[in-house]
Amino acid sequence: MSLHVSIAPHVHSKDSTATIMRDVLIALLPTTLVGVYCFGLNAALLCVLGVAAAVLSEYAYQKLTGQKVRINDLSAAVTGLLLALNLPGNAPWWMPVVGSFFAIVLVKQLFGGIGDNFMNPALTARGVLLASWPVKMTAWYLPTFCKGVDAVSTATVLGGYEASAMDMFLGFIPGTIGEVSKVAILIGFAYMLLRKVISWRIPVVMMASFALCAALFGMEQDMVTSLLSGGILFGAVFMATDYTTCPMSPVGQYIYAVGCGVIIAVIRKWGSYAEGVTYGILIMNIVTPLIDKYVKIPVYGQEKAKKEAKANA
Amino acid sequence: MLRNQQWVLRVGFCGFGAVGKYERQVLALPKYSFKGGVHPLHDQHEGKTSTTKLPIRAYVPDSVDIPMSMSIGAPATPIVQVGDHVKMGQKIGEANGFVSLPVHASVSGEVTAIGTKVLLLGGPTTIVTIKNDFQDEWTELSPLGPVEEADPTKIVPAVQAAGICGMGGATFPAHVKLTVGEGKYCDTIILNGAECETHVTCDHRLMIEEPQRIVDGLRAVMRALDVKRGVIAVEDNKPDAIDSMKRAAAGREGVEVVTLRTKYPQGSEKQLISAVTGREVPSKKLPLDAHVIVLNVGTAKAIADAVIEGKPLIDRVTTVKGCVKDHANLRLRMGTIVADVIGECGGYTEEAGKIVMGGCMTGLCAPNDQVVVSKGSNGILVFNEEDAKGYEENPCIRCGRCVEACPIGLNPYRMKHFCDAGDLKGAEANDLMECILCGSCSYICPAKRWLTASFKSTKEAIMREARRAKK
Repeated sequence: MSLHVSIAPHVHSKDSTATIMRDVLIALLPTTLVGVYCFGLNAALLCVLGVAAAVLSEYAYQKLTGQKVRINDLSAAVTGLLLALNLPGNAPWWMPVVGSFFAIVLVKQLFGGIGDNFMNPALTARGVLLASWPVKMTAWYLPTFCKGVDAVSTATVLGGYEASAMDMFLGFIPGTIGEVSKVAILIGFAYMLLRKVISWRIPVVMMASFALCAALFGMEQDMVTSLLSGGILFGAVFMATDYTTCPMSPVGQYIYAVGCGVIIAVIRKWGSYAEGVTYGILIMNIVTPLIDKYVKIPVYGQEKAKKEAKANA
Repeated sequence: MLRNQQWVLRVGFCGFGAVGKYERQVLALPKYSFKGGVHPLHDQHEGKTSTTKLPIRAYVPDSVDIPMSMSIGAPATPIVQVGDHVKMGQKIGEANGFVSLPVHASVSGEVTAIGTKVLLLGGPTTIVTIKNDFQDEWTELSPLGPVEEADPTKIVPAVQAAGICGMGGATFPAHVKLTVGEGKYCDTIILNGAECETHVTCDHRLMIEEPQRIVDGLRAVMRALDVKRGVIAVEDNKPDAIDSMKRAAAGREGVEVVTLRTKYPQGSEKQLISAVTGREVPSKKLPLDAHVIVLNVGTAKAIADAVIEGKPLIDRVTTVKGCVKDHANLRLRMGTIVADVIGECGGYTEEAGKIVMGGCMTGLCAPNDQVVVSKGSNGILVFNEEDAKGYEENPCIRCGRCVEACPIGLNPYRMKHFCDAGDLKGAEANDLMECILCGSCSYICPAKRWLTASFKSTKEAIMREARRAKK
């Protein structure tokens, strides 16, 4: 009789990296669909190219470096889709390709692959695209059906475009493919909460701290517009919650989320960019190792042991 | 300068620390529960359903292989010869020192062999083989009488003489736990009826079938140590056991039954103490330093048997589950060979891939089916080949689920880095020695990292290192 032997536990939860990433993809589906509805087939093409380029880059890199190919964990697909959703709807086809390659190879794989990158790959790639092709990355136009004609070039809400709160909530405003529809993002958020993929902490605290700062600083926009415009909700739900680049402990997550909210508010108020979400989150990504180092979770019994030692001394 | 910056950071983080503390109290720590933990097999009622309603039945084998080491501490020395006739309950192994237990014959009959066998914990163990004559003739017993008449000073020695150890799986000698050192005191005895492990139902059935004995055991311990408060703690997935214990405890002064939230590892000593009393056991100290003693309900029943009838611990209830024909709660004699138990349950239904002694979260793997039932065997789980297969470790994605699941508040992902690198000092600095090896982090990890396994081996390495340094 030959039996397997192993160290306990002998049972494991059904969740795996792939099921988590699949849930994120499902959560991104509503906002992707609204984006495609708003910005037409080009948006769909960008999403497909973004995902394909990310998965191919990961496959090629892992093959070339002789590593185990891990494209089945779907993390590359998530990165590719997130990047595509961060582009304007009329961006040229090569943009998601360049961005995905940058995100996967330079940001993720060169630093050790999944779990070891210190910045959010999709967001870093977006930052690079924004710096490299600022005109193309900020060429906003209205959803095609809004004005009845194709491609009306316009500013975003933060750039001065006026929209009703309902339009901003539903997504009938200029912006990137993924960020326009707040209701779709919230559906995705609810799904991820339900599936316990993320906790409420980072998105809620980040939005709250941003709102508080906006009130304190006195933004050009009113509060509702501040919260519903730009990419802050998309960033709070899908970008800031990236496992690898946010702190592990609850307290650390509060610090991180507050930091994100404050930096975004500062950039929006005083920065030269109309939008600060990308850099706000990226800066806090870089602070994350520091937060994880200094925020200690109280270990069972240690505080009491210290107290007793003091009492005895 | 650098030091000053660090202080600024620390002060800043303290403010957030206060918020975090508040969150723990408001959101995560309802009454009779603890922080962290997991819900293994929650959708399948913790895998317990098939045996919760099955009454305990006895099974007596043709022969038993009684190990001389069935508990933590020094192994006993055999005091019988091959060919000797022994009676049931007769002492066949003499304890070696204080943290060691005597061993008793679990059947009457003839000693046919004294040899060695490889059991669960690695090295070979001395075993005494007794062929059962089915007379079940008891050796002379010296009971202390009903609990309220028993001499309090004689209760703990009786527990020691009966060879009783923790029967929840940890097998720590009970008399050592019950010895309150100088300058210490105990004000609460907790009986652990949580049975948070998956699959096993032996404590559940015992609470339904012999609640009176369990309460008697608790009262005996309270009497011996002059403790006024005894708590029987049961998880809320066993309402029938709670009812049964409440009825048995009714009218007994100082004895109460509390309902715990069903969550793993609710039955872990530290978590149970926190849940029931709100106290924390100081780091690297014993429950007694929180003025609490925790005993398993099975242990309490054994203590009652030892006090009231003078019977040593020679049998226990074990749940048999998995790829066997009839699932069962069996009352088994110590030293019963697992293959015999499975035969009694109708044999294997599929080829066995893995045999786990205990539950899925902490059970130990048997090298073959010739291992024996001992004092800590609460379950025998037979896995088929498919479920037994090993799995590959994937890269950590830093999802933080291990941090949230850890009932101690450790950072499993970070400890694992140090363990993988073989950095014992680094692992220790990250509080590896506080780890209770409950398995929650390994259970919850989506990347299926071998967390608990590497913590266990690294802890052992650190302890080896410490012993070497002492020498």
